[in-house]
Amino acid sequence: MAHRAEPPDGGWGWMVVLSAFFQSALVFGVLRSFGVFFVELVAAFEEQAARVSWIASIGIAVQQFGSPVGSALSTKYGPRPVVMAGGILAASGMLLASLATTLTHLYLSIGLLSGSGWALTFTPTLACLSRYFSRRRSLATGLALTGVGLSSFAFAPLFQWLVSLYAWRGALLLVSALSLHLVACGALLRPLSLMEDPVVGGPGAQLTSLLHHGPFLRYTVALTLINTGYFIPYVHLIAHLQDLDWDPLSAAFLVSVVAISDLVGRVASGWLGDAVPGPVARLLMLWTTLTGVSLALLPVAHTPTALMALAVAYGFTSGALTPVAFSVLPELVGTGRIYCGLGLVQMVESIGGLLGAPLSGYLRDVTGNYTASFVVAGSFLLAGSGILMTLPHFCSLASTSKPQDRIREAVETKVSLSKEEPEED
Amino acid sequence: MRALPGLRALPLLLLGLLAAGRAGRADGETSVSPFTSLPIREETTTKHFNSSLETPNISLTVRSSVPVEKNITLERPSNIELTCQFITSGNVNSVNVTWKKGNKQLENIHTNATGSILYTQYMFIITDSKQMGSYSCFLEEEKEQRGTFNFKVPEVQGKNKPLITYVGDSVVLICKCQHCSSLNWTWYSNNGSAQVPIDVQMNDKYEIKGTNANETRLKITHLSEDNKGSYWCRAAFPLGESEQRVELVVLSYLVPLKPFLGIAAEVVIVVAVILLYETHTQKKKKLTDDGKEFEQIEQLKSDDSNGIENNAPRHRKNESVSQ
Repeated sequence: MAHRAEPPDGGWGWMVVLSAFFQSALVFGVLRSFGVFFVELVAAFEEQAARVSWIASIGIAVQQFGSPVGSALSTKYGPRPVVMAGGILAASGMLLASLATTLTHLYLSIGLLSGSGWALTFTPTLACLSRYFSRRRSLATGLALTGVGLSSFAFAPLFQWLVSLYAWRGALLLVSALSLHLVACGALLRPLSLMEDPVVGGPGAQLTSLLHHGPFLRYTVALTLINTGYFIPYVHLIAHLQDLDWDPLSAAFLVSVVAISDLVGRVASGWLGDAVPGPVARLLMLWTTLTGVSLALLPVAHTPTALMALAVAYGFTSGALTPVAFSVLPELVGTGRIYCGLGLVQMVESIGGLLGAPLSGYLRDVTGNYTASFVVAGSFLLAGSGILMTLPHFCSLASTSKPQDRIREAVETKVSLSKEEPEED
Repeated sequence: MRALPGLRALPLLLLGLLAAGRAGRADGETSVSPFTSLPIREETTTKHFNSSLETPNISLTVRSSVPVEKNITLERPSNIELTCQFITSGNVNSVNVTWKKGNKQLENIHTNATGSILYTQYMFIITDSKQMGSYSCFLEEEKEQRGTFNFKVPEVQGKNKPLITYVGDSVVLICKCQHCSSLNWTWYSNNGSAQVPIDVQMNDKYEIKGTNANETRLKITHLSEDNKGSYWCRAAFPLGESEQRVELVVLSYLVPLKPFLGIAAEVVIVVAVILLYETHTQKKKKLTDDGKEFEQIEQLKSDDSNGIENNAPRHRKNESVSQ
């Protein structure tokens, strides 16, 4: 296969979008809807709620920390075999979970096994998507990520129905069958060779060059800060509304409205990211700043209309920043190193995600309401967006870097590295 | 009296009812009142009135000819004092007040009147289940006014939906009773149409555990398909019994396995289709590429005499051929 100079920006790329859509649905949709099994498992194993919720936590942690492994393997073997293997792992984890007799079995099967499977699927798919598109990258990513939101709507009632028919064991078995579709999604990821691939070398070389890449490191720090603030409202919005004496039905309605505006934000931002010239990082900074501001203003609003407006604004802007966040990376490190880059970013930013919610809960316990935690979340987002301003070409009007520039940059980095180390990679 | 031994663990109920009466729920009810179960305050009030002989005051207000009812839950023998408060139109002396249980007229009634309001009271002791049921007070004027007190034992709650389990699994059936104190529970399974009590000593398949007095748990291990069906938990009170049904469904593992295999087969087919389609288009592309290359090689052979700059395109073509 010839090395292409430019990503195809269409053609088979749209099938990759489809694959990424179903993958986000099958990985994060399943994780978000796991609450349905939570109640059943607490009753079946006669365990405390906290111990059962570790199952999902271990799964998420393994998925995030395992991302670099998925990336490194994809660089070496291409995304297709890695994602297909990941799909089989994820499905086997669920299959074994349906046979579990103790809680430890569930920690190992869903947490460890399925988590590793998910680690091997999500990051390589998004990276592959970034390689297939350049002009329409943000739109493609935005469309693919709508899978997460839509699946949360669909899977929760579906899982509930499965549990009512087959109890949790049978339902887990069928979720395993559902997860097998990850293998089909992996089959759609046709390998693509771009011109800069031979230059950037194998996974070891890429990881080393990335760790020496200033803008990449700054971007990782920025994303970690953003991630710390990003998840807090998802966890605490309903509790905050209850503190304000909202009734549960209106609170649930507001959360649904936020979810819908999140979906709209993803697609709109995706389209906008491609339509506006210049580095996409500027749009990311815009959305991040707006998200931070709307979060910080949230505790100030007391009337239902103001709260609803701010919540919709938060939903739209936080949804808008997701596709753009993924699009900035290929511009920074080049599509040759995208697999490893994305894996590293996911791993580091997960630290922010893990710290965010407990920090917010702690602030709430100390101060008695959610004002402090929302303001802190907003400030994390604003800090992250501030660091984004230090990224290269931020103020220029140049279009996204051409392949020749990226190759030149990669060659320069490799040459400077090989000067430092005596051995060749 | 015979009731004395029954009164030793005295009437949390009575006091609860007293408290309920104080809360003023009896006044102003002109429709069927909600179920007045023994209030949750029974725990605290027991401490104050450990073995006093205070009687509870359960009262109803009847305003018009709409009959009023009150439901009372009672666990153990107690002294009861029922009061009906009638609002009469005028002359209180020409009215006739009676109390009845079923068809039987009751004695031991006290009646007094203030203005146009008539109070009538019936005091008695409930000692066994025969004395549970409905007690009514009647006022005969132009229209008959009536109030009814329904005495019942507390209800037992099970699970409305059937419990789904699998062969070889184990399950715990739970029955709960709110606002009850310690009880004797028994479990029955159904054998055809009859209820058969479950013998716990027979084998260790069945195990009855009760963590606290308000609930009972039946644990069944090593389930098989014959274990499916209805199970009853029965609570025995001094004043009667109440029971609840729990339904158990035992599925074999094949039941969800069939859809699983169906979906797995579908995934295999989809993957095969995708990969076959790809090899097919690649073969087509290679054929056309080979055709193009052949033409280009021919062209190069003729161009070769022109110069050296043709080296670069040839180099790239070799790369694509080798891949």
